Amino acid sequence: MSATIALGIRSLREAVRQPDALFMTMFIPLFFLVVNTGQAAEIFPSDSTGFLEGQGYGAFQLPITLLLAASFGMAALFLVEEIEGGYFDKLRAMPIPRYSMVLGRLVAEAVKCIVISSVIVLVALPFGITIASGVIGFFLIVALSALWGVVYAGFMQLIALKTRSAAATNSGGLIFFPLLFLTPNFVPRDMLTRPMEIAATLNPVTYLMEALRSLILTDLDWGAILPGFAVLAGLGVIMLLLNVRMIKAYD
Amino acid sequence: MTQPGEPAVRAAGLVKHFDGSDDTVEAVRGVDLEIQTGEIFGFLGRNGAGKSTTVHMLTTLLSITSGTAEVAGIDVTRDPDAVRQRIGVALQEAGLDPRQTGRELLTLHGRLFGLGRAEAAARTQELLELVELEEAADRVTKGYSGGMQRRLDLAAALVHEPEVLFLDEPTTGLDPVSRLTVWEEVRRINRHGTTVFLTTQYLEEADQLCDRLAIIDDGVIVREGTPAALKAELSQRRDGAEITLDDVFLDATGRSRDRAAGEVQEVGA
Repeated sequence: MSATIALGIRSLREAVRQPDALFMTMFIPLFFLVVNTGQAAEIFPSDSTGFLEGQGYGAFQLPITLLLAASFGMAALFLVEEIEGGYFDKLRAMPIPRYSMVLGRLVAEAVKCIVISSVIVLVALPFGITIASGVIGFFLIVALSALWGVVYAGFMQLIALKTRSAAATNSGGLIFFPLLFLTPNFVPRDMLTRPMEIAATLNPVTYLMEALRSLILTDLDWGAILPGFAVLAGLGVIMLLLNVRMIKAYD
Repeated sequence: MTQPGEPAVRAAGLVKHFDGSDDTVEAVRGVDLEIQTGEIFGFLGRNGAGKSTTVHMLTTLLSITSGTAEVAGIDVTRDPDAVRQRIGVALQEAGLDPRQTGRELLTLHGRLFGLGRAEAAARTQELLELVELEEAADRVTKGYSGGMQRRLDLAAALVHEPEVLFLDEPTTGLDPVSRLTVWEEVRRINRHGTTVFLTTQYLEEADQLCDRLAIIDDGVIVREGTPAALKAELSQRRDGAEITLDDVFLDATGRSRDRAAGEVQEVGA
């Protein structure tokens, strides 16, 4: 475990030394929050749109902002850079658990996502968005966002380990478009067209988004929150098993 | 720890195949090696001869298709972590983390090799002095020159005082001054009892540094011995002609000087 922590601290230092990357990670999702809200707020006025629970449309859009920010992690790109540059082999030649080489980066990703999602929520508050589930809800929102960031970064690391190519890893990152947008991100699931509703129902990210949305718009509703955590737990276990298997077989 | 006179590296029938989409590449085709503790052993060959693949197998970085290998008395396949604890590795390209400072990198390596915080910091300072990088210690390695990167890479490989040090083409691409510095470091490390396994394309480097050497060609060892013995043997076959190590290399690999041009270089420091 100490190797994982040592490598995690190294990755955090790495992130701090790339402040421009951190800035863009927050700026782009906030930009989409402003644009999407600006475009659709007139269509969904808060006083006559039931699914907004009395809040503005920005509150409804906040989950996609958080998930987008958490999906912009740099862990896989830094990993593939390390593979291409030869430092990864240096780490592999050390007597450290193989899993620590992937977990170290994921630990750092979790810390980064906690900071980024906290900042985004805090930035949103002065613009009239409230967290209806209170302080507990705030922490659950941050936890869900950070765990999503870790799971997503873990799957990107798999692409990096498999392809060992920055270009392929970059391209693999584009998967977040269907994952994040085949969801009820503009309206609730029951208002989607039938094909979109089916796609959203099959997409695990939907349950995560609905968990986040319920924490923002309503009081603690475990019926909506728990499926979000369950999806993350399931994906997280699959991601970890695949990463460990991949790193052990790395030749 | 292996004792003087005992093999620090032993390989028997080492084979490595890479399966491609169309065919199988036989990179190493049955290498036998025995390197005694305390030796500087040179492993020579042109590009693609199998030098780096052999080093990667001995350092646990590549799986072994068939054959056996022991490093520091430990089977590489059965207990790779125990081997990793006893070896230092500086690979062909100085693989450094570009966003860490030299000091951070060495301290991290110390921690990963199990040193305590204070011990890792002290060892880092000692190594920075050894490779003369104290002034640049707190700069990120991305800004280091090629020579500085090599020296830091060498220091990183020594952080846990390994029994066997693997250096894969440690001077490729370096200017003559940096090359001499690396040579001096290798000698100094060896004087402290560390066995050195060195691959190189530079024949003079092998001649200057190595107690014994082997020449690998197309995945098999074609000559092995001390530089003096290899030269003497060829000189005898050529009626006492004056022989250099590049003559030995060309004779061993069956290449003419024209064919070998650009493959193995005769570069002096």
